[in-house]
Amino acid sequence: MSFLDSVKMALRSLWSHRLRSMLTMLGIIIGVGSVITVVAIGKGGEAVLTSQFAGGGNNTFEVYYMPPDEELMDYDAYDDVAYTTEDLRAIQEMPSVNQVIAYAYDSTNVVYHQEAAGAQILAINENYYDLNEFTASSGRLLDNRDVDNGRRVVTLSTGVVEELFATDDEPVGQIVNIEGVPFEVIGVHERENQSFFAFQVDEVLLPQSSWPMLYGTDNMDMLNVQANSADDIQVASHAVTNYLNDQSTLSGEYQVLNMEEIEQGISQVTNVTTMIIGGVAGISLLVGGIGVMNIMLVSVTERTREIGLRKSLGATRGNILLQFLIESVTLTTIGGLIGIMLGAGVANTVSLIAGWPFLVSIPVVLLGVGFSMFVGIVFGLLPANKAAKLDPIEALRHE
Amino acid sequence: MIHLKNLDKQYKNGDQTLHVLNDIHLKIEENEFVAIMGPSGSGKSTLMNMIGCLDQPTSGEYLLHGTDVASQPEKELAKVRNAQIGFVFQQFHLLPKLSAMMNVELPLIYGGVKKKERRERARIALEKVGLEDRVNHLPNQLSGGQKQRVAIARALINEPSLILADEPTGALDSKSGTQIMELFTQLHHEGATLIMVTHEQEVADYAKRIVTVRDGEIIKDRGQEHVVPR
Repeated sequence: MSFLDSVKMALRSLWSHRLRSMLTMLGIIIGVGSVITVVAIGKGGEAVLTSQFAGGGNNTFEVYYMPPDEELMDYDAYDDVAYTTEDLRAIQEMPSVNQVIAYAYDSTNVVYHQEAAGAQILAINENYYDLNEFTASSGRLLDNRDVDNGRRVVTLSTGVVEELFATDDEPVGQIVNIEGVPFEVIGVHERENQSFFAFQVDEVLLPQSSWPMLYGTDNMDMLNVQANSADDIQVASHAVTNYLNDQSTLSGEYQVLNMEEIEQGISQVTNVTTMIIGGVAGISLLVGGIGVMNIMLVSVTERTREIGLRKSLGATRGNILLQFLIESVTLTTIGGLIGIMLGAGVANTVSLIAGWPFLVSIPVVLLGVGFSMFVGIVFGLLPANKAAKLDPIEALRHE
Repeated sequence: MIHLKNLDKQYKNGDQTLHVLNDIHLKIEENEFVAIMGPSGSGKSTLMNMIGCLDQPTSGEYLLHGTDVASQPEKELAKVRNAQIGFVFQQFHLLPKLSAMMNVELPLIYGGVKKKERRERARIALEKVGLEDRVNHLPNQLSGGQKQRVAIARALINEPSLILADEPTGALDSKSGTQIMELFTQLHHEGATLIMVTHEQEVADYAKRIVTVRDGEIIKDRGQEHVVPR
């Protein structure tokens, strides 16, 4: 008896009990489907997190001030952090550094006529756009000419516009007040490529050169450094922190986020999560497998006479064993394939909504198919063996 | 063709040993038409299963075409059943989800015959039993007599040297029963060897030889000169 004939026979038999076959497959479908979904979403999320923390791959790192342990919770400890123009120039001149992206920020009110809105005020220059891509939904973005000429202009985020202006008011060209200083609104900006979970901040961007007008200093609070290349990140971060710590009179220390450590941390977290949920999915596969075994046992009992007849017509034990084994493997494999398609579909939908990369990998799919076949063999063996061992005379007499 | 020597069959039931067949000697030649008769519990069914290689004797020899099949392993027995023996059962035992054609070709599947040839031979077998217009019908679309004819076509398809029928008319009305017996008679005239278990004298009368079994022993074995007309 050819293998192909056995497969056809199994398919015909499964098809003749469509509803039952479908229900039996459900456990496997859910099991495999959830494994595929979880792994894909986990990988996608990890890729996104990693790329965000690692400066989007443009070799940028952030310098931050770390107060000594006893001052960690003390908000004032951060107040004296300041990067002077000299600091920034010195860093800019380091051979491993491509450019310095520094900005100052404060939280304050933006006032337009009688309306006031709380917002983050960021004093930037054009370099800032290298940290995050911006687009202007109306008007234009700030550029270096605004900085160089010390223009008193701002761009507002959509959130600020909504709070300050009536729906049909055109904000571009209006004058808003920040800390009592009037600024002309030249555009409405939006951050691009925001991740699904990043919340939108109400913010106002203004030229760095106008910062002293508000706060009387041109020191910057935040510092990002772009290295010449990925290989230079280590050298640059050492050079920058060494320089800053030498200059510093503060009791704390300037540090750099270590991308490698962060990447490892993220990957550990997502791996553990994936493993836990994968384990749960694995249990559901196991339960699915037991379901398959159960139904196959019922099927063997139901078809006792058929088995007896087949034996009397010349089927060997091997033929019968193979027939039932193929049935259970076919059941779980089809279930696995449906599960993969379903899981890939769900993962695809999630990644579309979240704007993540779609990461259903071939190895995971192969593993899914392989594992469901394996479940079919393991849980099909007992019923198939029971069928194969039936005595043909007894079986034919079975009512 | 068939030679049973000192055939014994015992079942152990606790401490009791049940002698189902006791020192059976039986020879059946090619192209014989034999009826095995006896009351229920006489051992005739066990004898039949033994001849059909579905059961193995406790002791004794069973020579089929000169080879001792009694001592063969299960796999060999399956091969013998497939190639040499065609079974016809009282309850037909057709697979309900398969068409007449597919039911008939089952033995050929286990015999490893290619699909095209299977289809062709199944068609011929169904023609032979007069069901050429029922090829694609499912068993539940057929009458009892037609079902039994499908089963006979299935028994014939591998051109076995022996056809074993267990109460072939037991589940049929008398008209269909007669048709089936006439079909058997025709097959016999064409050269088939037929062994049939029955407890009905009328049915047994179609056979040329009647072997009577009681309490596990052959108590009567006589030939019949002619078929008794009904």
